[in-house]
Order: sequence, then structure tokens, then C-alpha cells
Amino acid sequence: MNRTIKHLTLVSFSLLFTCCYSVRLRSINGDMQPDPLMLRDDYYRGKEVVELDTVIKIDITSKDFTYLIKETEKCKSGQLHTIEFKNTFGGSLLSVVTFGRKRKMKVKYVCTQPTN
Amino acid sequence: MATTKTHSLNKWDTLHNNGPFPLKKLYVTELEGDGNMPDKIDRYNDAAKEIQRLIKESQEANHGFRGYGSAWSMNHIASHKDRMHYNGFMNIHIPIIKENCHTNTNFEASNLFLFECGTTIKRISEVLSAHGKSLKTTGASNGQTIAGCISTGVHGSALQVGAVQDYVVGLNLIIGPNEEDVVYIERHTEPALNDDFANHINCRIIRNDKLFNATLVSLGSFGFIHGIVLEAEPRYLLKRYVKKINKATALKLSDTLDFKNSIFKIPLETDSEGHGITPYHFKVFINQYSKESDYVVELMYKKPYVSDYKDPFPIIKQSLYRDLIHLFTKMAENFPKSIPWLVKRLEKTILPQVDEELIGTLPQIFWDAPYQGPAFACSVGVDYKNSSKALKLMAEITTEEGPIPGIFAMRFVKQSKATLAFTKFPVTCMLEIDGVLWNKTNKIMSLTEFSRRMIEVLKQNNIPFTIHWGKNSDWTFPNLVNHMYESSEINEWKACRSALLSEDMMELFSNKFLRDIGLADRESHVNEDLITFL
Repeated sequence: MNRTIKHLTLVSFSLLFTCCYSVRLRSINGDMQPDPLMLRDDYYRGKEVVELDTVIKIDITSKDFTYLIKETEKCKSGQLHTIEFKNTFGGSLLSVVTFGRKRKMKVKYVCTQPTN
Repeated sequence: MATTKTHSLNKWDTLHNNGPFPLKKLYVTELEGDGNMPDKIDRYNDAAKEIQRLIKESQEANHGFRGYGSAWSMNHIASHKDRMHYNGFMNIHIPIIKENCHTNTNFEASNLFLFECGTTIKRISEVLSAHGKSLKTTGASNGQTIAGCISTGVHGSALQVGAVQDYVVGLNLIIGPNEEDVVYIERHTEPALNDDFANHINCRIIRNDKLFNATLVSLGSFGFIHGIVLEAEPRYLLKRYVKKINKATALKLSDTLDFKNSIFKIPLETDSEGHGITPYHFKVFINQYSKESDYVVELMYKKPYVSDYKDPFPIIKQSLYRDLIHLFTKMAENFPKSIPWLVKRLEKTILPQVDEELIGTLPQIFWDAPYQGPAFACSVGVDYKNSSKALKLMAEITTEEGPIPGIFAMRFVKQSKATLAFTKFPVTCMLEIDGVLWNKTNKIMSLTEFSRRMIEVLKQNNIPFTIHWGKNSDWTFPNLVNHMYESSEINEWKACRSALLSEDMMELFSNKFLRDIGLADRESHVNEDLITFL
């Protein structure tokens, strides 16, 4: 019995970890928009990183959705430089149980530094 | 109008976490949009006015003021306890045309460009590429701003070129809040731009070799560097080789730079008689903890630009787990004896892949270096003839008094004309150790103690040396600068600064770093000849 529980726990942990991963896409051109106040200790240190962690609700007839990047204070050029999305077990599960109507979106992005 | 946001803060840090350092206010200036002010010169002049306003505001508050860019320097050279200005949004570029050039210039107009202080090396390369041009060298990376590079003497390993400041031909400085405080300085023996152009950017012109050479590596203290005129060259390719070669051969090459007669040759890089060609770039990587008989070396050869070469970029770039770096640091602090073993495990990540051959443009070969956690770097400059001797001594500190969590590398740079360039030897070997930043424990000495030992050992062994202005060191070491430079060089630099800046502005543009190294004082006698238009 104990062995079965151990195996189940191991499989669950493996599933959780392998379902949770990040993918980052980065342009080889341009600089990331800087933020001199951003003193975080990760890949985005000193960069104006925008973090989105939300659930998007879409029509049952819609296959996918497009999130539009606009010119804002945090994205002065309106152009993407780097984008990182995270896939989680919970996110996948949410999509399955809602038949794709709810999509978990966990994204970080940095826009290109405007040039003069 | 250019606009500035003012942030009240109490500390500031470098990119690589070498601080924090105290700060009261951080200014961030953004230029007027080109939709509202289409002319670049107008926007450039508008930004100059805004900087003058901030200087005046700081002066009235009896505060100091210092501009900075990407915060890549690993010490307090860029910091000021009062007010700092982030230049990263100031990135105008203006290509120079023939009509802008001085009648006696020897520069080709199409090679000259004016870049605003906050333009990064990467952006400069992109602008130049669009004109079919290239920088002559970089700091073997691309994230620094041009003003930061020249102020601290950033270098690559370009044997025949020099450091970044060595292709700068004109400087636009803002040295105070008044109209006459916007100056354009260039060499009188090598003029680049004409008076008309300088007048367009509202500048008082000073053509004077001594002043220009002193201002080139200014440590951020000759005023606010607003614009830099640099000389580019036609775009070229670099062919990069990474080889493992016998230690004795690598050290002999370092001490002689005699590639012609070395037993080490790259078959494709020889002359018609089969002698080795001197490369554009030469770097030796040294894991001082390894007993292996070889060193990894990196060589690059300049090739004419062609459009059909193999894309040098990989599709995937991996980076180390941040937690792994954190673990490395903690192990280094608590179990320093494990450092050699840890370094060995990370060798594949730290060192370039052996026998890898790449070809690409300068900006492709030296592409982005993302932040990888707190880091240190101690870099000393010695005459290349002393390379192996200095390396042996420095390595012994790490093996006998350490270990220290970093490995060495040697790069070689042509002599600079800048008065206080640390690349001051005929060819300077920049001997650097870099790695993860650690905290002192009862088992491992502090970074300052380690860098002090570097200074002491070089002095004890009578090896003349300099230290990279933007790297870690014991900057309060007694008479450090007097030991590194001739008194005539120090006096000339100080005299130029005293002649260019008013007493108030000397104080405003001085910071703790400058005081620590004893260069903040005003010369009692101001020599007006130094700021005379010759």
C-alpha cells in the first residue's frame, strides 16, 4: 500500500513539474525597453517587463485568441522584443475542463527600446 | 520639450549587484517625440537644455550630479550619493555629411557619426550596419552605452585598434547651466567637424589635443557627456576560432604576440610563406585550478564583408539555472575548497566550445549577454611582455590564498592616446578574473581583500600595472593612481579638468570614486592654455 502511495506521489510530482515550463522567444535585433528602477534579480533586471497572469474567456466557437500589444508607457515602441510564456498543469487542466473556453495566460514580455 | 521624471530613492545598484550605493534623486529624461519635433538637431539641442536645467536644479540644492547608462561598471564610478541621471532614453544618432566636416580633416565623412550619450553599443552597431559600416571594436559585448564605455575605458581584445575611446574624434560636453557651458572638443591636430556644425548644436568649440585626450577617459567627471562623434569603418566579418593549445605556447604568444614565428598556427590563417598571421583579436582563457596541459584560446581574423556567410546565431541559447548560481555562491562562501571542483563542473558553460568556428559581423560575434546574477570582475593592465609573469602571480593568490570563485582570461589591447587610459602600455595585456560575487566569511576573504592582494603582489614584484576603471578593486588603496600613472599624466588630467570646469561644477561632477582615488582636487593654478582653441 505504502509503495503504491509513493509511486502515485512520484507520478503526480513528475506530472506537475513536467507540465510547468517556460518558453522564451527573443528578437536578435534591438534593445529591450529599459527601466532603471527595475531591480529584480532575474533575466529582466533593469528591463521594463510586463507580466500578465490572467484567464481569458473566449467563445466556444473561437479556435484561439490574439492579445494585442499597444503603445503604452511600459511599451513605448508598441513592438515586442522578448516574450516568455509559462505553461502550467493548472492552466492545461482549466482549458480541458472548460472545453477550451477559459485559457490561462501567464506571460512576461518586454518591448523594444524606442530609437531616435 | 524633453521631459524628466524625478524619483526620490535612497539607494542605487549596478546591473551586477555591486552596490547598493546611496542616492537621493534619480532623474530619467526622455526626448521629445519626433512627431512633435521632427528635426534631430532640434531634439538634440532641446535635450541639452533639459540637462542644463537639471544641472542648475542640482547646483541650487547644493547637490552633486552624475549621468550613467547601463550600469555595467562594477564599482561606484557611476554612482553619486546626491543625484544621478539615467541616460538610456537619450539615443539620437546623426550621420555626418561632407558639408559638416572641417576643411583640414582627414576623416572620411561617411565614416563619422554623432551618437547621443545613452545609445548602446548594440544600437550603434545597428545604425552603422544600415550604413554599411561597423565599429572598429567593442568591449566584446554590446549592452553598455557609448558614454559609459569611453568614460571608463571599455576594451575588447583588438590588437591593432585599441579601446572604445580610441575611435572617438569629437566630444560634446555640458559643463554647466549657462549658455557657454555647452562645448564641443576635438583634437587640433585631427579636426573632424567644422564650426558650422558645432554652432548647430550650440557649442563653444575647443580644438586642443591635451584637453581632448584628458576628456576621453574622464571617469564621468569632466561634465555631462552629451554627444560622441566616432569614426566607423566599412563593415567587415570576423572569423572566430576556438582552440586548445599547450600552456607554454599560449603563454609565449601572450608574452611576445609573435604569431609569425609561433609553433601554433591556424592553417587557413597564414601568409604566403606559411607564417601565422597576427589576429584581430586574441584571448586566452585560464582555469587556474585545472592541472590540464592546455589553455583554451580564442582568435578572430578580420575578413572582407560578403553577404553570403553562414548565420552565426544558434537557434537556442540556454542559460544556467539561477538557483544553481546561487548554490555555487553559497558553496563558495561556506566551502571554498569546493571552488575548483565547481569551476570544473561549469567549464562547459563558462568557456567557449573548443574547435568551434564561426563567421559573422562584429555585432553578431559579440551579441547580447543577459544578466546572470551578482558578478565580480577584477582586471589589471600590464605590458604584454609581463603577461605570463603577472598571470602566474595572480593565479597563485587564488590557489594559495583562495580559492576565489572565478577564472582568469587575458586580452590584448593597443595603446590609447587618452591621458588616463588603463590601456597605456604599447600593447596592454588586460588580465581579468571574473566570476560570481561572494560575501566574506571566516573561510574566504572579501573581494576587496582579494583585490588588495592583487595590487600588493604586483607592486612587490615590480610589475607596472593599471586597473580597469569600471571593475572591482580596492580603490582606496594608498597612492594607487600615483603608482599606476606618471605624475605628469595625472597632473595634466587634473589641470585640464580644472581649466575646463568652474569650481562649482568641479564639485558637482565629483563623486566618491573620484575622491577615493585622489583625483577630485582642483589645481591651485588654472592653466588657461589647456582650454585654448589651437
